[in-house]
Amino acid sequence: MTALEELLGDRHIIVCVGPGGVGKTTTAAALALRAAEQGRRTIVCTIDPARRLAQSLGLDTLDNSPRRIEVTGSPERRKVELYGMMLDMKSTFDAMILDMTSSDRAEKIFANPFYQHISSTLSGTQEYMAMEKLWELHEEGRWELIVLDTPPTRSALDFLDAPNKVTDFLEGKFLRMLLWPYLKAGKTYLKAVNFGARTFLKVATKITGSELLADVANFFLAFEGMYDEFKDRAKRVHDLLAARRSGFVVVSAPQEASLREARFFVQRLAAEKMPLGGVVMNRTHAVPAVAGLEDPRALASRARAAGDGKVLAPALELYASWRDISLREEDAVKAALGDQAHVPVWRVPDFADDVHDIGALRRVGEVLLGPLPPRAAPAAPAPIDPAAS
Amino acid sequence: MAASLTSSRLAIVSGKGGVGKTTVAAALALAAGRQGKKVLLVEVEQREGIAPLFGLSHLGYEEREIAPNVTGLSVVPDEALVEYLYLFYGIRYVGRVLKGSKAVEFATNIAPGLRDILLIGKIKEAERRRTGGHFSFDLVVLDAPPTGRLPRFLEAPRSVTELVHSGPIRNQAQGVLDMVSDQERCQVVLVTLPEDMPVRETADAVETLSKMHIAIGPVVVNGAFPEVFTEDLHAVADDAPATLTADAERAGIVLSAEALAELGRVAGSHARRTINQQDAMRELAEETKLPSLTLPYLFAPRLNRDAIEQLATDLIEQGAVT
Repeated sequence: MTALEELLGDRHIIVCVGPGGVGKTTTAAALALRAAEQGRRTIVCTIDPARRLAQSLGLDTLDNSPRRIEVTGSPERRKVELYGMMLDMKSTFDAMILDMTSSDRAEKIFANPFYQHISSTLSGTQEYMAMEKLWELHEEGRWELIVLDTPPTRSALDFLDAPNKVTDFLEGKFLRMLLWPYLKAGKTYLKAVNFGARTFLKVATKITGSELLADVANFFLAFEGMYDEFKDRAKRVHDLLAARRSGFVVVSAPQEASLREARFFVQRLAAEKMPLGGVVMNRTHAVPAVAGLEDPRALASRARAAGDGKVLAPALELYASWRDISLREEDAVKAALGDQAHVPVWRVPDFADDVHDIGALRRVGEVLLGPLPPRAAPAAPAPIDPAAS
Repeated sequence: MAASLTSSRLAIVSGKGGVGKTTVAAALALAAGRQGKKVLLVEVEQREGIAPLFGLSHLGYEEREIAPNVTGLSVVPDEALVEYLYLFYGIRYVGRVLKGSKAVEFATNIAPGLRDILLIGKIKEAERRRTGGHFSFDLVVLDAPPTGRLPRFLEAPRSVTELVHSGPIRNQAQGVLDMVSDQERCQVVLVTLPEDMPVRETADAVETLSKMHIAIGPVVVNGAFPEVFTEDLHAVADDAPATLTADAERAGIVLSAEALAELGRVAGSHARRTINQQDAMRELAEETKLPSLTLPYLFAPRLNRDAIEQLATDLIEQGAVT
């Protein structure tokens, strides 16, 4: 069994990470489709606000709850259980708070104007909510495989650090210290505050106006006592991701900028002891050396000179250009990942046609794994052990 | 409708991830610089995309000349906050203390959108800056966040005016709103690839930005493949090997079956790409009703200054830099 077959066949969670614009969402969808066609009940969860996955799967809208995706054209007309959903940050955040506290208190939080902005704009919230949703799907117990697409994070740090960042923010030790006059009794206590805090408040009031500070203070009051729960949640998702039945797939393209980030992801995952499955290298141009085509540009000149090379001459010139690209791409991949010999790199060619329907997604799976194997005799579904580690 | 990329002082360059926003922003800056304009090329969010294109290791908050007539700047929120506090309140000491402490992170987090306000606020400052009775810059090119995040970035001042009812930050936000919604001062330049999905996202962005009453300039179609075939594209796409064999025989070039097969694959796939590209360009024109410019696909895995200069020439030749 190859590493990729093992990943798709046995793991419970696959997380696709990588820079923006390299086909992360498409890769997540293609992997999910392949696993589903191999008989696993699979859900793919995307976060992308541009709704690219929705387009990829021929659905107009995906929402915050799993929806069955109609898979057409499967061999042997097999029953394919593929589901898709798009993460809605705000409603996931709301649901999490409702789950953590009384409905009275939750309502108070929801009504706070500061919360309304925080729940959709605080940096890291998107990543944190993706993880929260992942846990929820895991807990449901009905999915054999969960494929999680991630926001086009600028760096791997952002994704792995998001829960801590958000929890730190909500705990707000520093801010609470500075805001304590507001938290306790309004600004009459300002005199008693130390110099640093007083200066901060003066500046903050100047910048934001005093109403916002009051909203912020109330927001933190409302969250009092919930920090431990936030921390516990972040911890359990972290443990779930680090478990043996999870696997990260780094998605990249063979250009230097993307490769730099991919390398960083690979190193960061290793440092965090997160299980890295491998790297999917999208949009590669593999043009082989062919005997007789050692000097294609000279042949092209000859064809042009003969006056009959309407297709031949351009074909030779294109071969020359793409062959150069192909070599330089391989060099770039080697430079970025050559010293990571243990990391498999799976290449997907740059298809002439856009990958945006089930058929094209299936082709991606075939390129990576070969034709879909004939269905084995029906076996009992693999047991899902939520505690597996 | 603006047909030029330089019809407003501020050009906000955006597009779907991976389409070459930074490349196009840099090419536009170089092109305008060559035409004698004083240009500021700005990046936000410390993306570090501009520096490598100009052979630099790093671009900082200090403005520096990175090409003839082109000044480079990377706007960082905490530096912008420190400058803001000094410029507007004469607060110098606190600014220095705040810088690098967690306070700035908090200050920018507690007022959602404040971070973006500081970033655009700095750009507004550059757009308005005057030296000796003239504007300091004829053109400010912003390498902006991708289209998915652009509306939120540009809406930041609005949400601040909703959240903050008085005080200087509100005025600052209003000032930024005024700039962004003034068609004479600011336009968004959307970059796309000649492919279905980026074109669709461009059309979506045009719709969203139009609702926000933000001016949109010509669309830059980046990475267009050369149209090298004079023959019917469908014929080449479907049956390249047959034509190649005939061509080779007539030209007296002997090619192995393997070579013909590989050339057929390359030619066929290029013809298919060209057909898709033409479809995408048609869709772009129909969906956006905007003029467009085309930049060629560069057969190079690494972009350097020479490549950007070549794209700048392409922009000038298309009359996009006036």
